[in-house]
Amino acid sequence: MIRRTIGIRDASVLGAALVAVIATLLTGSAYWTYALTLIAIYAIAAVGLNVMLGLAGQVSFAQTTFMGIGGYGAARLTATLGWDPWWGLVLPAFGAVAVAVLIGLPLFRLRGHYFAMATFALALGTNSLAVGAVLLTGGSTGIAGVPPLAIAGLSLGTPQGFLIVSWIVLALALAVFFVLSRSHIGRAWRALATSPDVAVSLGVPVLRLKLLALIVAAVMGSVAGSLYAQFSSFVAPDFINLVMIINLFLIVFIGGRGMLSGPVLGAAFVALIPQALSFLGEWQNVVFFVLLLLFMLFLPRGALGFDLSWLRPRPRDSSHPVPERTEAAR
Amino acid sequence: MTSTTGAALTLDKVTKRFGGVVAVNDVSFSVAPGSIHGLIGPNGAGKSTLVSLISGYQRADGGTIRLDDVAITGVSPLRIALRGLARTFQAATPLQGMTVRENVEVGLHTTYTAGLARTLLRGPGVRREDRECRAATVELLARYGLTESADRLAADLPFGQLRFLEIARAIAREPRILLLDEPAAGLDQTETSALADLLRHVNGEGTTVLVIDHDVPFMFSLCHDVTVVNFGSVIASGVAAEVARDPVVRDAYLGSGSAGEETE
Repeated sequence: MIRRTIGIRDASVLGAALVAVIATLLTGSAYWTYALTLIAIYAIAAVGLNVMLGLAGQVSFAQTTFMGIGGYGAARLTATLGWDPWWGLVLPAFGAVAVAVLIGLPLFRLRGHYFAMATFALALGTNSLAVGAVLLTGGSTGIAGVPPLAIAGLSLGTPQGFLIVSWIVLALALAVFFVLSRSHIGRAWRALATSPDVAVSLGVPVLRLKLLALIVAAVMGSVAGSLYAQFSSFVAPDFINLVMIINLFLIVFIGGRGMLSGPVLGAAFVALIPQALSFLGEWQNVVFFVLLLLFMLFLPRGALGFDLSWLRPRPRDSSHPVPERTEAAR
Repeated sequence: MTSTTGAALTLDKVTKRFGGVVAVNDVSFSVAPGSIHGLIGPNGAGKSTLVSLISGYQRADGGTIRLDDVAITGVSPLRIALRGLARTFQAATPLQGMTVRENVEVGLHTTYTAGLARTLLRGPGVRREDRECRAATVELLARYGLTESADRLAADLPFGQLRFLEIARAIAREPRILLLDEPAAGLDQTETSALADLLRHVNGEGTTVLVIDHDVPFMFSLCHDVTVVNFGSVIASGVAAEVARDPVVRDAYLGSGSAGEETE
């Protein structure tokens, strides 16, 4: 069934986020403007990963590759070629889709963990390429002078302008996730995530649907990468390094796989908690990872995936061992 | 393309080996369109391997399988499914984390024509397809006695209802032939006769049914034609009543005097 409404958990998180953005715009807090923009950009990339991981059940490390295409694409198109920044946001996404199709077609034929392994190699390769291909990427110093977005000649270079743009793009990404997760495509994704053989027997084109998920993830990754470059006005290899990969997975897992607003909550956690722990000095990372461990132990389905069903009486025992065959039909 | 036989499904000298073990040996039989055909044999007779071979999940080492006179040997399971063959599985296969209703809706996936862009834009075409899918689901759930459980997780269903759900899900897209792998396994007597009625109904709607099972009375009361396999080979095939009287079958498998009076 296609539910039109969103759940109370998603509504709470998204409502809180909206309040935070408005309050930040009203108070003009520089720290919160910066933090919320970063949260939005992380969340956009993570919504893409959530389509792959949370809906289609595919472990993909390719998200930083798509971010790299977006970031470096935007930098080269605008800083080097002088094109309008909007082209820098849109055009690299087509490149990311092309790469998604090129890697998806051969890799999705692999069974088991091979897809994950292959995309992990791709992510490491992308990072090495960013460092090594100096002519293309500027090497480890990167590319500086990426201009911000502008509407009708009016620069969105102010932190407030960029905050608004990034949250509008995030809202679009969430809308795409919302509509797809409740469509026949979303249902087919969830079916193939757990039982590919059953999905195939029902005529669900598993390979094509996996490719579709990767394409959606690629667009979101690329757009997030472009925004990141335009936000920080430069790109360097460390925005697509191993730490970013880990952060994206943390964001999706902390928020709750497959949950609409999970990436928003997860991105807030990943962006804000280390900062909030900075008074601990050297112990900051230790405490952060202990917090993460506790999280995984006690909320394995993410902050939004907590189970309240034990509050309600269970209708019946859910275990149903196959009973012994009874004799004769008549 | 070879000479047409008019059969819905034909197996011609199909062989499958696992290492040195010959699981299916030179099996030939054909399923008449519009019939309920039974494939019967004791555990380990190669029945489930045949299901996998016919539906493309495993590849035959020799012989030809034809669906509506088109060879499907070596064709992918998806292509075979899209050519109109539906199958169920021997093990319980609820789609995890999805409700009973959603399970049936996935069975209707092929009725959608909308791709990614049209789905995202949610135009009138997509909304109509959604409405049709919902209506068809409501109808199927009602016919299979699942209306009350529609919004429960499929994995929480009692075993008998889960069996019916699996059939509802497989039949949702109106396949031309339905392949059932031990549908009566684990069902009690009441459920088994309800299952038989349902399969007759499915067949009455025009779907050819191939049932694989080893429940002799269930099979001989349900099927028009029966093929008996043992040790990977066909030992008898034909109209149910005749096969039941076949002395070879009675000696080898049915035991004395068990099945004759069960047939109509």
